[in-house]
This record gives sequence, C-alpha cells and structure tokens, in this order.
Amino acid sequence: MKIAELKPGGQPQQGRLVRFSLYFVIGLILIVLPIFLPMYLQGLMTKILVFAIFAMSLDLIWGYTGLSSMGHAAFFGVAGYTTAILIRHYGVVTFLETAPLSILMATLFAAVFGIISLRVSGLYFLMVTLALGQALFSIAWQWYHITGGAFGLTIPPLNLGIPGFTSTAISIYYFVFIFFIICYFLLRRIVNSPFGHVLQGIRENEPRMRALGYNTWLYKYIAFIIAGFFAGISGILFVHWNMLISPYQLGMIQSTYAALCVILGGPGTLVGPVIGAAVVIGLEYGASLYNPERWPLFLGIIFVISVMFLRGGVYPRLNNLWKKVGEKYSYGSTKG
Amino acid sequence: MEALRVEGLTKEFGGIRALNNISFTVKNGERLAIIGPNGAGKTTLFNLLNGQYKATAGRIYFLGREITDMPTRSRTYLGQGRSFQVTSLFSNLTVLCNVLLAIQGTGPPRFQLFRSISAYKHLYTKAQELLEAVALWSKRNELAQSLSYGEQRRLEITLSLALEPKLLLLDEPSTGLTPAESSDIVNMIANLVRDITVIVVAHDMDLVFGMAERIMVLHYGEIIADGTPAEIQTHSRVKEIYMGIEEDTRSAGAI
Repeated sequence: MKIAELKPGGQPQQGRLVRFSLYFVIGLILIVLPIFLPMYLQGLMTKILVFAIFAMSLDLIWGYTGLSSMGHAAFFGVAGYTTAILIRHYGVVTFLETAPLSILMATLFAAVFGIISLRVSGLYFLMVTLALGQALFSIAWQWYHITGGAFGLTIPPLNLGIPGFTSTAISIYYFVFIFFIICYFLLRRIVNSPFGHVLQGIRENEPRMRALGYNTWLYKYIAFIIAGFFAGISGILFVHWNMLISPYQLGMIQSTYAALCVILGGPGTLVGPVIGAAVVIGLEYGASLYNPERWPLFLGIIFVISVMFLRGGVYPRLNNLWKKVGEKYSYGSTKG
Repeated sequence: MEALRVEGLTKEFGGIRALNNISFTVKNGERLAIIGPNGAGKTTLFNLLNGQYKATAGRIYFLGREITDMPTRSRTYLGQGRSFQVTSLFSNLTVLCNVLLAIQGTGPPRFQLFRSISAYKHLYTKAQELLEAVALWSKRNELAQSLSYGEQRRLEITLSLALEPKLLLLDEPSTGLTPAESSDIVNMIANLVRDITVIVVAHDMDLVFGMAERIMVLHYGEIIADGTPAEIQTHSRVKEIYMGIEEDTRSAGAI
C-alpha cells in the first residue's frame, strides 16, 4: 500500500518534484528580490512576513479549529510590549535575552485567556476574546509610566548580541524571513499531525468528536496556547521592525486585521493567511499613497467583499486553478 | 455478565417527563432492539446512556461501573460506540480522514504534534479494513459531504465500529435507506463478533426482527413490554398501541 496516495487532507497531490520546485522558486524570489528593491519596499516585505506569521497563528485556531477569536492581537502585543519594557525599563538589550521572555509572556497570557474564553463557544467566545483584548488595550493606554500610554514605547535598533550584525532594512528582512520559514514549517507539521487532524474534526463536528472519545476542550486549549506562542513570535519581530509599540497593537483593529488576512487568504490553509497578509498590506500601502486616513474604510470594504464573494478565500481558488493547469499539461497523470 | 444495568432512570425537560423511572439490564453480547412510537423517549434514552444528556434521577452501570455522571468521552474509553440518528460526520473532511479520526480517538498518537499523520501506517491499515468492509474504500479521498445518503449512513456506522466498542448503540441505522441497503445493515449487525453487545433503536420492523433477540417497547417514557420477538408480536398492549394508532387513522380517513 502506498501511503503517498492516502493523504487525508483532501488537497491535490502534485508530484513531489513539482511541489519542491515551486517552493524553490518562491523561496528564491523571497531571498533575491529584496536586494533590488528600495528600502521602503524592503520594509513593506518585512511587514508582510511579520503579519503572515501572525495570521498563520490565528488561522490555527480560526481556520483549523473553528474558534473565531477577536482578541488574538493580545498575544502579539504582549510579546511586543515585553520586549520594549525589558529594553526601556530594565536595560536588557540583546535579542537573545528579550525574545525568550517575551514569547513566554505571550504564551502565558494565552494560557490564562484560554481558560477564561474557552468556557464558552461560538459568538460568546468571540465576545470574550474581544473583551480580553480590549482590557489589555486600556491597560496599555493608561499605565503610561510603564507602557508610555497612547504614545507607546520606542526601542533602539535591533541588537542581536552577535558582533558584526548591524540593523538595516535588509538585514531585518532576512532576520524575519528566517523566522517566517521556521514558523511556517513548524505550523505545517502541526496541522498535518494527528493533533492537527483532531483540530479539524472539532471544527467540523465537536459533539461527534466527544462521542469518539476526544477531550475536545483540552485540544482547543492546547491549540489556543500554541497560537499564542506563534503570535508572540510575530509580536517581537514586529516591535524590532517597527521600533515602536503602541496600544493599537493589542487591540481590536489589530485582531481584525489578522482575521481579514485569514478570511481573505483562505481559512484552514497555511498558505492562505500568507497570501492574505500580502494582499491586505499591499492594498494598505496602495491606499496610503492616496488617502491614508480612509484606510479603515477600505479595510471594511475588503472585509465585506471577501465575506460575500470570496467564501473560502483566495488560496483554495488558486489551488484549484493550479490543479486544472496541472491536469491539462500532464499526460498520463495518475489518478488516485 | 451484564453489559448494561439501568436503575430508575428518569429524564425531565422542563415540565415534560421524557423518561419515567426506567429499569432494565442487558446481557453481554445480547442484541436488543428498542421500538416505540415517535416521542416515546428512545433517542433520549440513548443520549442518557452515551452521556449527551444528564439524568434527572436514576443510575446507569456499564460493565459493572457506574457511569451516570461520566462525560461522553470517558464512556467511549470504557467501550461505548454510538451512531447518530441524524447523520453526524465531518462533512468537509475526506472519508478516509473521518475514519482515521475515529480510529485514533482512543489510540495513543492523538496528541502527537510534530509527526505527519501519514507516518502512522497501522491507522491506515485499519482504516482500509473498515472501509473495505462497507465498500467505501474506493471513495476514501472524497469529502464526506459528497457521498450519497446511503453511503453516509454506512460511514456513520463505520465511525462507531472504528472505536472497537464493547457496546454498540445504533440510533435508527436504516432511516431513509432502500430495503436492500437496510438489509445490508442487518447483515452487518449479524456479522459482528458475538462479544459486542448491540442496542438498536429503530422504526424499521424488518431491521428489528432481522437482528433482535430481544425487543423492548417504549411508550410515553415507560417500558410497556420486554421480551423475545415472538412474545412482542403477540403482546396485547403493544398491539393496541401500534394497531390502535392505525385504526384511528383508518377511521379518520373513512370520515
């Protein structure tokens, strides 16, 4: 029995070679292209990768597990603030010292928020996560001698603690790129594991999962914590890229932003949120050239359009197209 | 040995008493059918046995252990497998994935995070066995929602069999099936290993008399008859309920 033809995910099975070469080409573009771009576009690409990690982390609970969280930015912001506070108030300067603590804080917050919010489900879950996120927002807003209040905290350029590393737009880009690759493959492993399949089962039919012997609460809780961990990673990358963290990174707008990337790109896929992040940030950049104040209006319009006309997101459509092209140009294709 | 013992089981929904002080025992390996008119409390009884509902009063023992307040998943661990009256599948996952979830539900790799599920060959071997038995192996890569209704019913039952249960609870397994498909299900139950206890709730009398060694009749939340199929066929109260309803409708039609 060939295991290769028994993939349970329901995704089209291209040949290994095709898949590998696709990765290779995309990887090459992501590595080589920024060298030839002006600095602000290097920054834009960095931002896309940061938000791609953030959106993928949200998708683990939103798209795979079916938990619509509107407070996911809490973990993004907590990690960012932890880094900024450590640097500004405690004189801890190198990344190797601040990063583990910041990610740990984000994970701990996820562990606590998970216990509170997973007591309810559906719309109530959405409301509780939203409320928890907004609570952190107002704490960051008012506790100004620690958090800098509405102005937030600025931090100096990234200090890796490695001699010879200087923080430039391109070096930050590659730095984030490495994290992006690691996060993508880790998350891919997780969603294709037995655990990842359980999450999808819970999304599809939770009562049945219970009848099959699963402790569904525990799975949801673990997924929530893992998502918080990865959101934390994106949060520290964000603060080093932006060199400023403000209460907005904790709040509702930031959470909606990630949700939009997921919904637009394709919930329940990992490539989807990455595409979503690229599209949303690209559009934001385009809009900001003309009318930066109206950006939230555009954001709302995109949201409505993607919910009404792009159910399932962009990525599954691209994937189908790709499959059709593959069928057309491959002779003697083997059908499982 | 007893597979199941129910003592004074009562379930109320608000003011309505769906089950009223029910007691019975089921022997190991017995094939029991529960019949009764709509609203008699049959599915409610299943939901109490499998833990979807909490009992208002009474106790349930499964294989000698009290399970009255146990969550569903623990009952599954002890060896209960249940199929649902309304087909309850993972619609957007493939047929194979549906079965894999059912198999690993009580198995060790379910918390494994960093290994691909395709590395667990024994899960696949077992899934193949189960799906071949119900002639669904060729459809393994299709989404569960794209199956025909009859196929979905078969998959539904396969999910509960994948748990390797000691007690199988089948709720209306043949609803909406053609007579041929329904007799497939009778055969399937007949071919089960004898140490599996089977309780079926059904309206389909061909199914009931095809598989049951014992029949229990529920009416307005009470057991009004309990015996062999031959005894039930001649039971006066049962006749009255089933025939009475028929007579009413007949006379109503005549006027």
